[in-house]
Amino acid sequence: MGHVEAHHAPGALRAVSDESPEPALIEALHVTAGYENRRELTRLIALRDVSLQVRRGEFLAIVGPSGCGKTTFINLIAGFVKPTEGSVRVRGSEVAGPGADRAMVFQDYALLPWRTVERNIRFAMENRRGHVPKSAQAGRVARALELVGLTGFEKSYPHELSGGMRQRVGIARALVTEPEILLMDEPFGAVDAMTREAMQAELEKIIAETRQTVVFITHSIDEAILLADRIVVISKRPGTIREVIDVDLPRPRFDEQADVQRSPRFGEIRSHLWSLLADEALGAKQAAR
Amino acid sequence: MTETTQGTPGIERADGRQIETIHVSRFARFRTIAITVLNLGVFFVLWEVVARAEVINPLFFPKAGDMFAALFNGFADGTIWPQLSHSLTNFLIGLAISAVIGIPVGLLMGASKVADLILSPYVWAMTSLPRVALIPLLILIMGFGNAMQLTIIVLSAVFPIMVNCMAGVKTVEPSLIRAGEVFGANRPQIYLKVILPYTLPFVIAGVNQGIARGLVGMLIGELLGGGGNGLGYLLDKAGEQFDAPMLYATLILLAVMSVGLVQAMRWLEQRAAPWRDIARA
Repeated sequence: MGHVEAHHAPGALRAVSDESPEPALIEALHVTAGYENRRELTRLIALRDVSLQVRRGEFLAIVGPSGCGKTTFINLIAGFVKPTEGSVRVRGSEVAGPGADRAMVFQDYALLPWRTVERNIRFAMENRRGHVPKSAQAGRVARALELVGLTGFEKSYPHELSGGMRQRVGIARALVTEPEILLMDEPFGAVDAMTREAMQAELEKIIAETRQTVVFITHSIDEAILLADRIVVISKRPGTIREVIDVDLPRPRFDEQADVQRSPRFGEIRSHLWSLLADEALGAKQAAR
Repeated sequence: MTETTQGTPGIERADGRQIETIHVSRFARFRTIAITVLNLGVFFVLWEVVARAEVINPLFFPKAGDMFAALFNGFADGTIWPQLSHSLTNFLIGLAISAVIGIPVGLLMGASKVADLILSPYVWAMTSLPRVALIPLLILIMGFGNAMQLTIIVLSAVFPIMVNCMAGVKTVEPSLIRAGEVFGANRPQIYLKVILPYTLPFVIAGVNQGIARGLVGMLIGELLGGGGNGLGYLLDKAGEQFDAPMLYATLILLAVMSVGLVQAMRWLEQRAAPWRDIARA
């Protein structure tokens, strides 16, 4: 960690940093990334020349058609994928791999099926030596479970829980180490519509309490507007940033009285996003055929 | 789950799930056993009846009663037990050796592309080669002894175990490995905490196949190896002496032995990976 990649021009760094006085927590600079196919000697470019900053405490949603490189972007921040050009930095230092400052919530929950809820959450604390002291772990688990509303399910196995509950465990596991950054890759993509709405509201409440920086991938426009401070629209493959939209809706957005979903501003942002994504979605569908 | 609407006496667990006691007829619990006993009883009675009618030459088809008598006498006069114990001991040692070699090598092949590339031509050749073809070579090398019989059991059982373990590692959900990485697990920790537990059901399935193939290996080793011991020898001798009841008795013993082993593995499988069965349902 900490070494500077020589790929990008030094001027580029300044140009992006000048926009905000406070240094960004996450910073992508002219990032291009792709997946190699060694048999055909090709590289599928998933993202091209993406520059983006995420401020501390910000909730950033990324939307775009399927296969636009949304997941690649989150994988770059997580440290699973390395950019072929450009650099991804967290707190100013190059991402070299996964780290304790970043936790992830997976679309398919990624819980260990042979472990109870409690032991799944403990998994986040037991691998890094001295990360969370042993004596504090039980308390942390209890608090994380309380946060996601699963107190009492410590001894249940994932297969005994519903999809929504499993993802609550996934969120609790990600929160238990109190990471600075929470990466969420379509976390509610596999839960049913009713549960989804309830979980969005809960997530807003949780984040208001824990104050994490969140990068949230979704293909639901409404979900993005309801949760995010800013929405990044990515175009279809190779993904580039189409537009960044500020969501200036008051919080809490799931408050019954406020009824944000029916406010004129919500409608404006929604139809704007729709117009951006409609042609992308159509294009992607044709490309998939 | 918030409230109980009916006043049924039940135990409420900490997670809010309510558990009530239900009543099932006492007979239901023994039903499966009763049906099995009845089923086997009818089978042997039919066997006896058909054999008594002598529609089939009694030389090939003895009466069930004679078969049981041969079985009883064989144990009583000590002709069966030494052979059975020889076969069983040999088989279990062979299976243990196969597991000790097959499981780690299979896991390695699943995890490392290089290891897979180097080993897989030999593994697949040995998996598909009919084991009987090896007997002449093994006799040439090792003679008619126990070593040859043990070797053929290991050669039969080790490859299915290996192939299953390899397949198991390759089916581990990529997101589980990613979760391991995100939450700070290093390579050894990922193997120990994610890949190995995930692969366990495959390991057991591999050992199951190893048992089936190993039993065949055991028999051909004893039948063709001419070592003068084991259940295979008992079959061979009974055949030569036209002793049909003894022949059938040995076959029954073999069936009981293999069913017993498979059932034991099934029991183990349920204990080892209870999550897998429910996830499938």
